Amino acid sequence: MSYLPYALAGWLFMIGLYGIVTSRHLVHLVVCLSVMQSSTYVFFLAVGYREGASAPIFKDYPLGKPAVDRRQRDRDGAAPRARDRDLEARRHRRSRRAEAEAAMTALVPLLVAIPLIVAALLVAAAQRIHPLVANVTAAAVAATVTVLAVLLIFRTSHAPIDYWFGGWHPRHGIAIGIAFHVEPLGAGVAAATGALATAALLFSLEYFAEHVQPYFHALMLIFLAAMIGFSLSGDLFNMFVFFELMSIIGFGLTGYRIERRSVLQGALNFGVTNTIAAFLIMFGIGLLYGRTGALNLQQIGETLRHRQPDGLVVVAFTVLAVGFLVKAGAFPFHFWLSDAYAVAPIPVCVLFSGVMSDLGLHGLARVYWDAFSGTLGGHDEAVKGVLLVVGCLSALVGAGMAFLQASLKRMMAFVTIAHIGAGLIGIALLSARGLAGATVYMVADGLVRGALFLAVGVIMYGLGNPNELRVFGRGRGMPVAAIVLLVGAVTTAAVPPFGPFVGRTLISQSAPGIVTAVLVVSGALGAAALLRASARIFLGLGDRRDPLLVAPPTGEDEDEGEERPIGLGLLLRLPAILLLAAGLGLAFATGLADRAALHTLRGAKPPPLPSLSQHVTTASVAYGVLSGVLALGLAAFGLYPRRLRLPGGRFAAPLLAGAKAVHDGVPGEYVAWLTFGAAAIGAALALLIR
Amino acid sequence: MSRRVRIRGFLVSALVLAALLGWGFAGLPDFGHFAGEYAQLLNRVATGERHATNVVTSIVFDYRGVDTMGEEFILFAAVITVGMLLRETRDEGRRAPRDEVRSDAIRLFGVSMVGATVLLGLSIVAHGTITPGGGFQGGVVCASGLALVYAAGSYRAYRAAGPYEFLELGESTGAGGYVAIGLAGLAAGSALLANVLPLGTAGELNSAGTITMLNAGVGLEVSAALVLLFHEFLEEVEHR
Repeated sequence: MSYLPYALAGWLFMIGLYGIVTSRHLVHLVVCLSVMQSSTYVFFLAVGYREGASAPIFKDYPLGKPAVDRRQRDRDGAAPRARDRDLEARRHRRSRRAEAEAAMTALVPLLVAIPLIVAALLVAAAQRIHPLVANVTAAAVAATVTVLAVLLIFRTSHAPIDYWFGGWHPRHGIAIGIAFHVEPLGAGVAAATGALATAALLFSLEYFAEHVQPYFHALMLIFLAAMIGFSLSGDLFNMFVFFELMSIIGFGLTGYRIERRSVLQGALNFGVTNTIAAFLIMFGIGLLYGRTGALNLQQIGETLRHRQPDGLVVVAFTVLAVGFLVKAGAFPFHFWLSDAYAVAPIPVCVLFSGVMSDLGLHGLARVYWDAFSGTLGGHDEAVKGVLLVVGCLSALVGAGMAFLQASLKRMMAFVTIAHIGAGLIGIALLSARGLAGATVYMVADGLVRGALFLAVGVIMYGLGNPNELRVFGRGRGMPVAAIVLLVGAVTTAAVPPFGPFVGRTLISQSAPGIVTAVLVVSGALGAAALLRASARIFLGLGDRRDPLLVAPPTGEDEDEGEERPIGLGLLLRLPAILLLAAGLGLAFATGLADRAALHTLRGAKPPPLPSLSQHVTTASVAYGVLSGVLALGLAAFGLYPRRLRLPGGRFAAPLLAGAKAVHDGVPGEYVAWLTFGAAAIGAALALLIR
Repeated sequence: MSRRVRIRGFLVSALVLAALLGWGFAGLPDFGHFAGEYAQLLNRVATGERHATNVVTSIVFDYRGVDTMGEEFILFAAVITVGMLLRETRDEGRRAPRDEVRSDAIRLFGVSMVGATVLLGLSIVAHGTITPGGGFQGGVVCASGLALVYAAGSYRAYRAAGPYEFLELGESTGAGGYVAIGLAGLAAGSALLANVLPLGTAGELNSAGTITMLNAGVGLEVSAALVLLFHEFLEEVEHR
C-alpha cells in the first residue's frame, strides 16, 4: 500500500498522455498538459513526504537566540568553515597567481548574470529606446560573454572549476547549494553559444532593422543565458530550470509571426513535445532524489556508484535520456524540430540549430558521465548499443528527409537532425575519444550550421523565399551566400581538413565499421541536398520541376517580405563568413578537446590519448573524400531525377510517400511517437541490463 | 497515420512505459520514509545560518537561489513573449466592452475587497521569511486584487485603476533587481547571490539579510507580471 502515491502520479501522467494523443481540440490539449504537470507535483510531494515530520517553519522559535545551538552548528561545520575560509583567503593573498585565478573564477556567474540583467534593462526601457540601440547592446553583451567563455576554456584546461553560488560549499560531502561545474567542454559549448548569438544579433541588425521591438533582443539575451547556464550547471534540478527557460523562450521566438497558421502549428508542436520532455525529466529527477536524496550530479553519481543498477536506475536514466533527446531532436523525437525550425525567424534558427539541439546531447553526456557511469559502467554495452541505434537512425532519417525537401529552411532542420545523430553516435561510444569527437563535431558543425542558416537568411532577404524550385536561378547576384552555402555543404560532409572532419574522425575511430558507413552515407546525403539546392538557386542547374521533393505547407515560405535589393549588406554577410571560418578553424582545437574529455570522464580514468597527427590516418581521409564524392554524385542525381533513374525507384516511391506523410502531423501523432520511443529505449535497456 | 493506428500504437507503447515507471517506483523508499540527508541537513542549519524561520524561503532564495533566478526569468520571459505576440496581432481602434455586472451588491462587495486583497498579498510577501508564503505567493494575491476591479466592477474602473504602462518597468525591476542583488554578493568579494546584509534577529520582520530583498523583488516581479498577463489577455478578448 505504501507505494500508492507514486502509482497515483504515474496514473495521472499516463491519463494526461492519453488525452494529448487523442486530442482534437487545443483547449483540451492544454488541459491534458496540466494534468500531466500535476502528476509531477504529486510525484515530488510523494517522494519528499516524511511520516510524522512537520513543515520546516519554526514558528515557536524564540526571538533573539540562534535557532541551532552552538554545538550543533560546530558539528555541521558552519563556524570552523568561516575560520577556514579566512585562512584560505590569507594564503591566497600571498600569491598573485592565485589571485588571478580567483578573479577568473568570478567570471563564471557573470556568463549568466550579465545577459539576464541587460535583458531586464532592455525590457524596462523598451518603449523609450530605438530598436537598433537595443540590438547593438544585445550584440555587445553576447560578444562579451563569448570572450569570457573563451577565457574560461583556457583557465579550466588543467583543472575544472566548481563555482558554488552564494558561497555554499559542500559539507561532509553533501552539496547544500548549487554549483556550476566548469570544464573545458562545457566552457567550449558556452563559447560557441556566445559566438552564435553574437552572429545572429549582428545579422538581425540589418535583417530585422527596426521591425522588431527591443523585447526580441531581450528574449535573445535570456535565451543565451539559459543555454550557457544549462551547459555549465552541475546540479540536476538547476539543469532542469535552465532547460525550461530555454523551452519557454524557444516557443515564443518560434511563434514570432503568430498570425500565420504554419507558425502557430510549429510553435505548438515545439511547445507540447518539449513540455512533455520536461515532465519526463522531472520524473527522472524525482526518482534519483528519492534514492539518493541529492540533486548535485556528482553526489548522485557517488551515491549510486556502490550499487548494481536496478529498476529505478534504469528507468531514471531512460526518462532523463529521452527528455534530453527530445530537445536534441533525435529519432523518433525529432518531428517537432522540423516544423519549428521551418517557421522560426532566421536569427533564432541560428541559435536553435547551431547550439540548442546540441545542448540536448551535452546534457545527456553530462548526466551519464556524472551520475550514471558509476552504476551503469558494468553494463555499458547495453547503453552503448541502444544509444548507437538511436544515433544511427537519426543520422539516416534526418539526412534522407533533408534530401526530400525543397525549402532550404526545412532542409536545414533535417540536416540538423542528421548531425545530431552523428553527435549522438560519438557520445554513445562511451569513451573519451568518442566524447571529444562528439564535442568537436558538435561545436564545429554547429558553427557551420549557424553560417548555413545565415546564408539561407540572405536568400530569404534578397529573394523572399527559401524554396529552391521557386527561386530557381535567381541567386546569381549573391556570391557570398553562394560561397557560404557551397563551402558549408561540403564541410558538413566531413571532407578533410575542416573542423567537422576532425570531429567525425575522432568519432569513427572507436566506432564499429557499420556505424562509420552510416556516418559517411548520412553526411553525404545531407550535403548532397544542400549542394543540389545551391546549384539550382545560384547556378540555375538541373530540372525546374522535381516530383521527388516535398511541397512545404502552404503559407510557410511566403516569407519574410518581398524581394528586396541587397545593398552593401555587410552585416548580412559578415556573420556567416565569421561563423564558417570559426567552424572550419576548429580543426586545430582537438588536443584541447581530448584533454577536456578526460576531465568529464574523471571517474573512468582512460589511458592517455595519442596526439592529433596520429588520429588522422589514411583511412579517415579516405572516408572524408568518399563522403564528398558521394555527396556530389547524389546532388547530381537530385538535380536530374528523371534523367538519372535509379533501379528500384518503383519500390521506393511508397516508402518515400510514407516518410513524407509521417512528418506532416499533429501534436498527438508526435506525442505517440515520443511515447513509443521512450517505451522502446526503456524496454531495450531493461532487457539488456537485467 | 490514421487515427486508429496512432491510438493503438500509443496504447501498446503506453503499457510498456507504465510498466517501466512502475518498475522504477518500486526502487523508491516506502511512502513517508524518505531519508534524504540534504533536506535534513538544511532543516537543521538553515534557521541558524540565515535567521529565517521559514526554511523553505531560505532554500528558495539563498541555498538554491540560482534556481529561483531561473524560475523568475521563466515567468518574466513568458509574460514578455505573450505581450509581444498579442500586441503584434492586435489592431487598434477597438470599442470599450460592455460590462457584465449588473448587481450593485456585487459591485460594492467586490470593490470593498480590493484593498483587503492587496493588503493580504503585501503581508504575505513581507512575512515570507517568517511564516508560510513569500514573493511568489503574495505576488499572485496582489495581482488578483486588480483582476477583482474588473470582475466585480467595470472595465472603465479597471482602466482607471492603474497606470498600465508602468507594469513592464515593475516587472523588469523585480527581475533585474534579483540579479543586481546577486551581483552585490559578487562585488563584496564573495559569490553571486551571497548574503551582504546584516542578518538581524530570526523571527523579526527585517531579518534574514538579502533573502528579504530578493523575496520583495520576486513579489514585485510576480504581481506586475500577472497583472500584465491579465491586462494583455483582457485587451485581446474584449477586442473580439
